[in-house]
Amino acid sequence: MNTQGRPAADSPIARLVEAFHRLPGIGPKSAQRLAYHVLRAPQQEAQELADALLEVKRSVVLCARCQDLTTESPCRICGDASRERTVICVVEEPLDVRAIERTGGFRGLYHVLHGVISPADGVGPEDLKIQELLARLRDVDTGVTEVIVATNPNLEGEATSMYLGRLLRPLGITVTRLARGLPAGADLEYADDVTLGRALEFRQEVR
Amino acid sequence: MARAVRAADGGAERGPDDAPAGTIGPMPARIPRVTKTEAIVLRHRRLGDADRIVTLLTPGRGKIDVVAKGALRARSRMAGHLEPLTRTEVVLAHGRSMDIVTQAHTLDAFVTLRADLDRLSSAMYLVEVADRLTFEDVDAGVAYGLLHVALTRLSRGDGLQLTTRVFELALLDASGFRPEWGQCVACGDAVPADRAAWSATAGGVVCERCRGGAGGAAPIDARVLRVLRAYQSLPYEEAARIRLDAELAARLEQVMHEVMHHVVERELKSARFVAAARRAGASAATIADAAGERG
Ligand SMILES: [Zn+2]
Ligand SMILES: [Zn+2]
Repeated sequence: MNTQGRPAADSPIARLVEAFHRLPGIGPKSAQRLAYHVLRAPQQEAQELADALLEVKRSVVLCARCQDLTTESPCRICGDASRERTVICVVEEPLDVRAIERTGGFRGLYHVLHGVISPADGVGPEDLKIQELLARLRDVDTGVTEVIVATNPNLEGEATSMYLGRLLRPLGITVTRLARGLPAGADLEYADDVTLGRALEFRQEVR
Repeated sequence: MARAVRAADGGAERGPDDAPAGTIGPMPARIPRVTKTEAIVLRHRRLGDADRIVTLLTPGRGKIDVVAKGALRARSRMAGHLEPLTRTEVVLAHGRSMDIVTQAHTLDAFVTLRADLDRLSSAMYLVEVADRLTFEDVDAGVAYGLLHVALTRLSRGDGLQLTTRVFELALLDASGFRPEWGQCVACGDAVPADRAAWSATAGGVVCERCRGGAGGAAPIDARVLRVLRAYQSLPYEEAARIRLDAELAARLEQVMHEVMHHVVERELKSARFVAAARRAGASAATIADAAGERG
């Protein structure tokens, strides 16, 4: 990056570049490209982007039960009377709920942890929605007999499933884990529907 | 904007870059384009949509960040060989700001660690301690060897306390933070185990006479002190013969966590996880108990 073409640090353009750069996966070059795209776009397109950003912050909340992102709490899945209420599938992120729903092979409920146990990144069990899961099993979904831990097939995902297994087993709940078949180290978000569906079907009990 | 500039300039560039702008400084030609090294994977983080930055501990180059392209994709052949807590052999291509992994091959996956929560959380602690006490471009042969040996001991079933404490003490020693358990850190006199006080700030034990001067020095259990002395000085096989009851183990852990906290100047998250994992096992016969318990 050369000094000549760079806007002053406090200019509106620099602020926009910086805002884009804070987004995950956006490097400095991409941030600049996005900012200049917005600058050249019609007024209405910029207005729609700004409105969408504010609207999503205004209207999207966490479902009080499953902690998924939703515009109404309880969310559509938690409020759906036709879903099985004896099994909860625990996932790391809201995107994982979408991925498992796409397989069409799961009819139970979900619980979103919003992360995974990873001490190296400063995340422990106390930073995840685990207390919310326990409170829910106690107060709302009292008929749950199985918890499927669908965390990613990597070290952090394993640590999380073993921790939940240890926490929930004494409470008489069977804790299962997605079957192997998902490649080690991979991310659920990138698994194809068939592989994910099979991993779900052939899940195994966490020891 | 400052942040964007820093990232673009590649703060981690290794070549001698202190030449003034416009002059041709010495070229970083001594770094070969491709190197092969063994490494222990300490941690990783996402880079963009499909790549990962992997932090490796290597014997020769210390702790380095490298890029694993496509590691997040389901069909990545590399991801499994670059998981944290894996000892791996990597081929690195010299990159502008970070090296790129072109091949990775697992030497030891320490699989038995992954089957037991207490071993796994302890291993995560060892890795975080190693992470905090090693640096880039500094020879880390000793630290690497200690971590390798400790992970091997943990995975073959050696005592968690024994392995962890021996590792901490040896790594502190190798890093220049050796705690002094034998002689008073103020006057140098030998300190009898049953009349010792200690403080993490002072870096070890103080005698009765000097105790007033060492602010915050607290009494230390003679049994704890004897074990620490033994772990620091005896060969491993002899240290392994010392029997620890639960209470002694807990006190040892508390002292060493204080030492570590003082040295790395921050809370070690994995130390909390070790405790949380243990607590989850001893927990709560009912959901009400479990839900009532705050981490
Ligand atoms: Zn919900
Ligand atoms: Zn003294």
